[in-house]
Order: sequence, then C-alpha cells, then structure tokens
Amino acid sequence: MSEQDNDTFEKRSRALFQDSVEGLDFALRSRLTQARNAALESAATRRPWALGWKLWTPAAGVTAAAVLGVVLWMGSPLHHQAGVAEAQSSFEDLDLLASSDEGSADAMEMLQDDIDFYDFADKAANPGPAA
Amino acid sequence: MARFDTLNTAWMVWDSPAPAREGAVLEYTRELEKFLAEIERRAFRMAQVALRDADDALDVVQDAMLKLTRNYASRPSAEWRPLFYRILENGIRDLQRRRTVRKRVMTWLPGPKQDPDNEAQDPLENVADAAPAIPERLMQAQAMQQLEESLRALPPRQREAFMLRNFEGMDVAETASTMACSEGSVKTHYSRAVHALREKLGEVW
Repeated sequence: MSEQDNDTFEKRSRALFQDSVEGLDFALRSRLTQARNAALESAATRRPWALGWKLWTPAAGVTAAAVLGVVLWMGSPLHHQAGVAEAQSSFEDLDLLASSDEGSADAMEMLQDDIDFYDFADKAANPGPAA
Repeated sequence: MARFDTLNTAWMVWDSPAPAREGAVLEYTRELEKFLAEIERRAFRMAQVALRDADDALDVVQDAMLKLTRNYASRPSAEWRPLFYRILENGIRDLQRRRTVRKRVMTWLPGPKQDPDNEAQDPLENVADAAPAIPERLMQAQAMQQLEESLRALPPRQREAFMLRNFEGMDVAETASTMACSEGSVKTHYSRAVHALREKLGEVW
C-alpha cells in the first residue's frame, strides 16, 4: 500500500463523513440545538453561585475588618486611660482655683490668658461640633 | 471589547464597571455556544458511528456538552476541543460497557432473546424511501455505511485515533492530548487503523 493510496483513501473517507454530517435531517439538527441550549443554560444557572462568592467575599472582608477595628478601639487601654486622665485634669483645675492664696481673680486672669490654648486643646480633644 | 481566553479572565473583567462586565459575560457565552455549534454535528456522527444508534449518540453528545460547560468552561478555549472529545469518548466507552454487561445478563435470562442494540430502533427507519434515490448519492451512502461497519470492527483506540485525525481534522499533538497518550501511540494507532480499513474496504472501495 503506497502513501499516495493512503492519502486518497483518507481524503475520500473524510469527504464521505463530511457529506453524512451535512446530510443530517432537520429533526436531529433541532435536537442537537436543544441539547446545546440546555448545556449553556445549565452553565448559566451555575454561574450565580460563583458570582455570589466573588461579590460577597470582599464585602465580608471589609465588614469583618471594620468590626475588628471598632472592637480593638473600644477595648484598647489608651481609650480608657484618656478618659481617666481627662477626669483627673478637671479636678486639678478646680483644686487650683480653690487653693489660690492670692484670690480667685488671679487665677481667673491666668485662665483668661490661656483661653486660646484651652480652646485649641478642647477642639483637638473633641474634633466634633463645639458644644 | 478585548477577547478573553478563560472564565477567570472574564471574572477579572466582571470586576470592572457594569457595562464592560455584562459585555464580557455575553461574549464568553457566545464563544462557548459558537464552539458547541461548530462541533456538535460531527461529534454526533462520530458517536453514531461508534454506537450505531442515534438516540444513544445524542445522549452522549448532550452529556459531553453538559460536562464541558459545567466543569471545564473556565479552561482556555483552545483546550475545549480535546476536552470535549475526551468526555465524549469516555461516554461512548461507558455506554458500550453497559451494553456488553446487559447483553451478558440477557443471555442468562429465560425468555425470547433480544438484541439490545436494536431495542430502540424505529420501525420507520426500515421503510424504504418513496423518493427515487440518485445513484451517486446512493453509492456514497453505501460507501459510508461500509466505512462505518469497518470502523466498528476496529479496536476502540484505533477507531478513536482515526476519527479524531481524519473526521475531526485534529493534528497528532491534539489527538494525543484528547486520547491521553503519547504522539507516538497516536501515529501507531492511526497507521494501523488506515491499514486495517484499507484492507477491509479495498475490494469494494
């Protein structure tokens, strides 16, 4: 059997097969189209699962990070210490006013001089709207 | 819009603003549909040659389509064809195995013997066509029928190699990928198949 004969045989068998494919009747073609559509539909119905996973993962990550941040901030020792220090400072100021030997007028004057500083300090400690 | 090769690439586009995302998913679906539309008829005929039954052939083709779209659609589109035909061949082999088992069981059971291959045969298929057949078409149909019978007589791997290389037009590398064997094995299977077919059909072809 020569190579040329093989080549002729291969071409003929390919052509016969192609003819048989093109000769498929309408009913079979229709059933194949239905099968294809069913497969594509099946793939499309599965996709939302992947989509949901894809969309919700970043959102869940951001939420978890936010919750963790709030918990850490609320529970941090710095947060508590700041509150204690603020209370102590108020008592010290009252004590200073009450224990002044030269009367309360001097003390009030001293406070007037530094009013801008206290105003700044208050704004820095409470960045919200001024009370 | 840029063409993408994988579903992952499509998801990357999906992460982009909504209009681009919708377009990418639509393009991906179109690409998959185009691929299936291109190969479905040849795949059906190849399954029909192997199984000798249109309904069974349709079942395995549909099953292969479903498995490809469900499990492997995220692969690069260049891999779809070998994957599809590997699934199809596995389906054909499974069905042939089931038939063999059924045949064995039937021979042990009492009662009239039935050939399982002919169970689903439509009686209308045996009715002669009323329209006069063109001689050339008739000769081609007969030649194809002889080729199909000879193909069925081949060992499965040889038949597979012949159909993928000759009917589907795959090169040696793609056939090897589909058959999950070496390129050397493909060449051997194909060469033996051509030799056997020519020997069998030589006199009538």
